[in-house]
Amino acid sequence: MTPDLLTLTQWVSPAFPLGGFAYSHGLETAVARGDVTDADSLQNWLTGVLRAGAGQTDAILLVQARRGADVAGIATALAASPERLQETLAQGAAFARTVNTMTGQSLPDAPLPVVVGIASRPLDLPDQTVIALCLQAFTSNLVTIGVRHIPLGQTAGQAVLNALHPLITDIAERAAQSDLDAIGNACFASDMAAMMHETQQVRIFKT
Amino acid sequence: MEYCRFFEACTNLKQMFDTQTSQSLQRTRGRAHVGVQAKGGRTVLRDLHQSGSAKAFLPNVHDPVPEVVFLNTAGGLTGGDHLIFQIDVAPNAQLVATTQTAERAYASPGGVARLDVQITVGQGASLDWLPQETILFDGAALARQTRVDLADDARFLFVETIVLGRAAMGETVDTLQFTDHRQITRAGRSEMIEPLRITTDTLTDRQNPATLAGHRAFTTIALLAPDAADHLPKVRAALPADIPAAASAWDGKCVIRMMASDAFPLRQATALVLNTLRTAPLPRVWQL
Repeated sequence: MTPDLLTLTQWVSPAFPLGGFAYSHGLETAVARGDVTDADSLQNWLTGVLRAGAGQTDAILLVQARRGADVAGIATALAASPERLQETLAQGAAFARTVNTMTGQSLPDAPLPVVVGIASRPLDLPDQTVIALCLQAFTSNLVTIGVRHIPLGQTAGQAVLNALHPLITDIAERAAQSDLDAIGNACFASDMAAMMHETQQVRIFKT
Repeated sequence: MEYCRFFEACTNLKQMFDTQTSQSLQRTRGRAHVGVQAKGGRTVLRDLHQSGSAKAFLPNVHDPVPEVVFLNTAGGLTGGDHLIFQIDVAPNAQLVATTQTAERAYASPGGVARLDVQITVGQGASLDWLPQETILFDGAALARQTRVDLADDARFLFVETIVLGRAAMGETVDTLQFTDHRQITRAGRSEMIEPLRITTDTLTDRQNPATLAGHRAFTTIALLAPDAADHLPKVRAALPADIPAAASAWDGKCVIRMMASDAFPLRQATALVLNTLRTAPLPRVWQL
């Protein structure tokens, strides 16, 4: 165990005040539309989002930011809807504010993977580790939302997260060796769900 | 491997001795460039270049805004082909651009087909880029790159529809390598990036509720203009009720996404949405 790994696990803890619990990434709409109804469909939905949506995209943005590239503008332009933009910007700002207050750094306000990428530059950890733990935090938050909202048992939710570990590590390995051109999105349905969420009658989550 | 080297050596020899012969290899090449400018309150053609299989023509239209129609005379794209469409709308000019037919990407015998669309829209200028759908056949390998550079207050409207095989013809696409990178900048800043990628893996899991959700046709429409958000209410009112469709507006963009089990319902819905964003009738090739 190193202080750097403790720092990273502190950042990805649900106790770290990013306000992630308010952002369902369109999952609330997918549940309301009947696209996600149980543990299996939640796992499928998360597989799609991780492999062909925000999971892969944010992993590459993070590693590029970590290596010094200025990708804040690209991350902003990649947002598929205004709520998606709010989701990544608000959590990025909360992350920057918290770390800046704790450490006296001056991280900028930017989309979440960009701020985390910049903040993680001094951490002596493999890129894959940083990416995988961030993807797990993202997934874990959505599993929690799924558990409360579908609803599912706590254990069934954790089993979904556990089953996604090989995918998360695979995405992290690939992203660590990819450049921006490797970003590829096939999340037509979840991007549309994120847009439909704006006009949904009953909404608990911000996205 | 040996065969490849041999083939490459032959190709080099051919190029050395007879450039005409090497051009007659099956690979499709082409570039069509159209530049328009404002003159006396109207938009007129400034320059036109056509080479290889890429053509562009300007049909007579009754609207004051001219229309340009791009065409791939090879009738489709396959591995190794490379086509370039370029549009340059000078300051204060207005143009509508479309394609003569749906673009078809056929099974690739090897290599990737490339289609580059390069667009610039100047200060106070406007472009409607309304190509017909792109139909991807089983085994297709296509990399399309659309780059759009807008001046500060330029207006740009585009539609892109991707169709995975023709449902009516009983076609199923199982093997595919498709990337469709759409990047729009305004005054040099990234405004919208849509980096689509549909692969064999995507199709293996085609029922995934986050990705294709079992659909075969996907449309994106986007208006980038200072007043884009003003269009949102009437766009939402025009969205079809029988297929998944959604619209949003933010940061000078109004974006509409729709998907369906085949191209036809999308074509109808697209025409309705475009009519709320445009005053002139749709290009003739679009009329249903």
